[in-house]
Amino acid sequence: MVNFIARRLLSGLITIWFIATATFFAMHAVPGDPLTQEKAMSPAVRAQLEARYGLDKPLIEQYQLFMSNMLRGDFGISFTQENRSVNDIIREHFPISATLGIAAVLIALVGGISAGSAAAYCKNRWPDRVVMIAVIAAISVPGFVIAGLAQLVIVALNNAAETTLLPVAGWGSVSQIWVPALVLGLGTMAYLSRIMRASMLEVLSADFNIAAKAKGVNGWRLFFHHQLRNAVLPVVTELGPTIAAITTGGFVVELIFAIPGLGRYFVQAVQQLDYTVIMGTTVFYGAFLVLVVVLVDISYGLIDPRIRLHRGRS
Amino acid sequence: MSLLDVNALTVSIGPVQAVRDVSLTLEPGECRALVGESGCGKSVTAMSLLGLMPSNAKISAEHWLFAGRDMSQLNERDWRQVRGNQIAMIFQNPMTALDPTQTIGAQIAEPLRIHKGLSRRDAKMRAIALLERLAIANPAQRAEQYPFEFSGGMLQRAMIAMAVVCEPQLLIADEPTTALDVTVQAEVLCLLQEMRESSGTAMLFITHDLGVVAEIADSVSVMYAGQTVESGSLHGVFKTEAHPYTQALKRAVPSLENPRQLEAIKGSPPDLRRPPAGCGFAARCSQRMAICEEQPPQMACGDNHLARCWLWHKDHPLRWRQADALISGTPVWRNKE
Repeated sequence: MVNFIARRLLSGLITIWFIATATFFAMHAVPGDPLTQEKAMSPAVRAQLEARYGLDKPLIEQYQLFMSNMLRGDFGISFTQENRSVNDIIREHFPISATLGIAAVLIALVGGISAGSAAAYCKNRWPDRVVMIAVIAAISVPGFVIAGLAQLVIVALNNAAETTLLPVAGWGSVSQIWVPALVLGLGTMAYLSRIMRASMLEVLSADFNIAAKAKGVNGWRLFFHHQLRNAVLPVVTELGPTIAAITTGGFVVELIFAIPGLGRYFVQAVQQLDYTVIMGTTVFYGAFLVLVVVLVDISYGLIDPRIRLHRGRS
Repeated sequence: MSLLDVNALTVSIGPVQAVRDVSLTLEPGECRALVGESGCGKSVTAMSLLGLMPSNAKISAEHWLFAGRDMSQLNERDWRQVRGNQIAMIFQNPMTALDPTQTIGAQIAEPLRIHKGLSRRDAKMRAIALLERLAIANPAQRAEQYPFEFSGGMLQRAMIAMAVVCEPQLLIADEPTTALDVTVQAEVLCLLQEMRESSGTAMLFITHDLGVVAEIADSVSVMYAGQTVESGSLHGVFKTEAHPYTQALKRAVPSLENPRQLEAIKGSPPDLRRPPAGCGFAARCSQRMAICEEQPPQMACGDNHLARCWLWHKDHPLRWRQADALISGTPVWRNKE
């Protein structure tokens, strides 16, 4: 097991190095640089600024400098936000994105597993139909449309109740988490409920399910002890890419709901060619996702004993 | 009083009349074999007896008593108390009938937890003791393992343990040896026999293997096209088979004493979406008469040996012919010319 984790982490490091290198050169291949602004800058000022940020050096030398700083965990100082280090930006804003993301993943998981199981239990009857139609809708409609609709609904509700039941946007209180998290997780929830329905249908007709019933197992015990654990594995498989989609897809939702998450800085940095912030956020997200995928791989073994690696003898 | 007394059980699933008329009785401690070819309704009968048919199946019976209780009146809540507690089932394929994500010990202990209210610890202890009785080495360690770590024969023993752990009055074994290789088959049969003798459990043994029937059963019911067509003691049914289908079935079994060409039964079973008006076997029967295709025969013959055949109707002129004529398997009845 230790061996397995070590191997996965090593290949993760190579992945991160690749992400960093590719992003670095792609970023520099884009015309312009962080100092290019609408206002003209005198050549003397520009030269001084370039020297200050090390942009006058050859690209390879800049790359070496970036890499050695990165290994020490230092991503430098933002070009556009004066005197703010990239590390500070991540430290301050990532927890917000992470909170939103975790809430979204939880909603997607619980919602997807429940809806998928319910649809499988009621196969071809109306609850199944309703869930499957909702799934198609949630997958097809883009997140920003749903976000806007959700805000309209909140406004209508608040107007009808003549008080503020739910805040429309902003960040800081618990009540401000759930609506954006639901919007963010909705597509994934739909996707997961389709997978869950298919694998639950398989479990429902499996011999061991009938055998468990023949023992007198029933109701919730049957669901949690026998059906869920066998049916949930394909959903867990999707969890890695799902978390990736939710964390990187979050910035649209963050923007619409005015949430000060990391996503906004990520997008702004690309628009303004803020080299250090681009590199910092990209490498950080990359590392985060590599870690998540390793964690998902480990969780397989906890759910299905056949995948438990340290027991593998044959 | 019989432990199980089912009369005229019928089960239909959508357009398919899977079970049309099955009558079974089991005395306490008796082992009855239910024999028949694939698709004749054996497994549907078994599942119905456990109340495990899907909700779209329609089940009815003239009467259906188990341990003096009218089973046709049971709701789902009552059934839950019966399953695994009073009636337990052993499934055909142990590789797929055990939950791959639970330890063997937990799966054997589960009925005790549900029905007897035992603590996790006590139930686990009982499960380990039972595994030991079933000749599994290192039962305490084995109980912590998962089904994928067991061989087929061991899995079937675990499955037997799971079924007998609550000491049910009736054990339904649905082809428990079919998925196993022959040496393991004998082992499992011995174990079942032992378990039955020590606890006095009655058993309904579903199989299509006539050799296994001869080894384990006290009495035999033969099914064809969703009906019991013959039933009686092991000796009665196997030595003096009364129904032409049973006769044909026996001729299709290879024998060492009398090596000859095996005779397959010509034709195929009727479509149970549109079962024939008369006898289900008439189309394949070498002794059929005009009436066979027009009216369904009723169970008739002797007191303890019944056959659903017009040949045994009380008005049939040859009804009282000695049964030993049947032993040779020669057609004693005149064919429909």
